[in-house]
Amino acid sequence: MTADLSIGAMISMYALMLIPLAILFYLQLGIIRETLIAMVRMTVQLVLVGLYLKYIFQLNSPAVSLLWVAVMLVVANLSILNKAGLKRGLFFWRSLAGVAGSTLFVSGWFILIAIRPDPLYDARYLIPITGMILGNCLRSNVLSLERFYSGIRKNENEFMTYLMLGANLREAVRPYLRDAVKAAINPSVATMGTMGIVSLPGMMTGQILGGALPMTAIKYQIGIMICIFVAMVIAAFLNILLSLPVAFDDHQRLKQNIFCTKS
Amino acid sequence: MIEFRNIRLEIHRQTLLDGANLHIANGDKLVVRGASGCGKSSLLKSVIGALPIAEGSIGIEGTELSAATVQEIRSRIAFIGQEPVLGTEIVRDALLLPFSFKAHRGTAPTEEHIVERVERLHLSADILDKTCSRISGGEKQRIAIIRALLLNKSIFLADEVTSALDPQSRAAVMEELFRPEITLLSVSHDPEWIKGCNRIVEFNTAQLREVAK
Repeated sequence: MTADLSIGAMISMYALMLIPLAILFYLQLGIIRETLIAMVRMTVQLVLVGLYLKYIFQLNSPAVSLLWVAVMLVVANLSILNKAGLKRGLFFWRSLAGVAGSTLFVSGWFILIAIRPDPLYDARYLIPITGMILGNCLRSNVLSLERFYSGIRKNENEFMTYLMLGANLREAVRPYLRDAVKAAINPSVATMGTMGIVSLPGMMTGQILGGALPMTAIKYQIGIMICIFVAMVIAAFLNILLSLPVAFDDHQRLKQNIFCTKS
Repeated sequence: MIEFRNIRLEIHRQTLLDGANLHIANGDKLVVRGASGCGKSSLLKSVIGALPIAEGSIGIEGTELSAATVQEIRSRIAFIGQEPVLGTEIVRDALLLPFSFKAHRGTAPTEEHIVERVERLHLSADILDKTCSRISGGEKQRIAIIRALLLNKSIFLADEVTSALDPQSRAAVMEELFRPEITLLSVSHDPEWIKGCNRIVEFNTAQLREVAK
C-alpha cells in the first residue's frame, strides 16, 4: 500500500507553492489570482472526486459507473467545443458521438479483452482507464477541430480552388484534415518516443507507488499508451468527419455561423 | 452558355446587384467593367456557387445552379482569380492536382502535353520543378490558366488575369482564351483585353448595362 500523506505533509506541499508564487509576483505577470483560483479549484475538485470515487468503488454498480463515465464524456465534449471555438448547439451530438465512440471502443477493448477484471465492469478499472483516455482525447480533439476549421477559414481561396478543380467536399477538406490530425497526434508521438527516458509516465509511477510490480506497471503503461494513441487518432478523425454536414452549406461553403467568436 | 436571370447579389446586407439579367452565348468573350469594389468579382464567384445569390437564378449550358448541380457545374468551369491559388508546393503537382480528384481521375495529361502547354504561354519547362511560392504573380496566373486548359474546360471566368503580365505574355494568354470554342466571362481594366472581347458590360449602381463596342 502507498504511504498516506498526513495533513502536515499536505501543508508542506502547499508551502512549496510559495516559491513559484514569489517568482510570479516578482515578474509582475498578473496571474497570481488566477493561479490561486486554479489551485483551490484543483483541490476542491480532487477532494470531491476522491469522495465520489470511494463511494463508486464501494458500490461497484455498472449503472452508477456508466453514469459517471457519461458525465465525464458530456463535460469533456462541452470543453472540446468551447476550446475549439465552435458553437455547442450545432456540434454537440456529433462531437459527443465521436468522443464517446472512440473512448468507449478503446477503453472497452483494454478492459474487456486485455485486463478482463472480475467483474468485468469493475469501477476501479473502468473509471480511471476511461478517464485517462478521455483526458487525452480532449486535448487532441481541441487541437484537431480548431486546426481544421481555422485552416479552412484562413485559406478559403485555396479551399474554394480545390472545389473549382472538381474536388468533392471530402477531397477538398483532405489537406486540412491531414494537418489537423497531424497536429493532434504529434505531441503524443513525441511523448511516446521519449517515454521512460525523458519522462516516467503517471500511470506507471502511480502503480509502483501503489505497490505494483514494476513490470506489471510497465505493461499497463504500454497498454494505456496504445489505447490513448488509438483513441486520439480515431476521435480526431471521426469528430471532423461527423462535423462536416453541419459545418458546410449545400454548396460546400464553410458556414460562418459555426464559430463562437470572430477571429 | 451562361444565363443570369433577375439576379440579386448581397454581401453583408449590402446590395451589389439588383435584378440583373445577362445572356452569354457559347463562344462569347464578355468583359465586365466597373469601379473597384462594385462587385464584379462577386458576380464571377456567384456563377460557381462560391457566393450565394439572394434572388434569381443562374443557368450554365441549360443546367440551373443548385445544391444538386453545383459540383458538376464547377467541374465544367475554370475560375482564374487575380491572385490564383495553386494549392501545392511544386508547380508540376499544381498542374496535376485536379487529376487526383475522382471527377478527373484517369485523364491526366502526358509530360509532353504539359510542356507544350507551358511553352505556349511563354514559360520555360524548368518552371515545372519550381516551388509555387517562388514564382511570380504573372507566372502563377499562367500556370492557373494552363491547368484549366489541361482540363479542357470550355467556360472561363477570368478576374483581371492579365494584371501581372507583360504584353507578350498577355498576347499569348489572349490567344489561348479567345479561341472560338471558349466562352469567356471576364473582369478587366486592361484596354487590350477589352478590345479583344466582343461584348462589354458596365457594372454600375447595382445594374449591368451592355455598351456598344
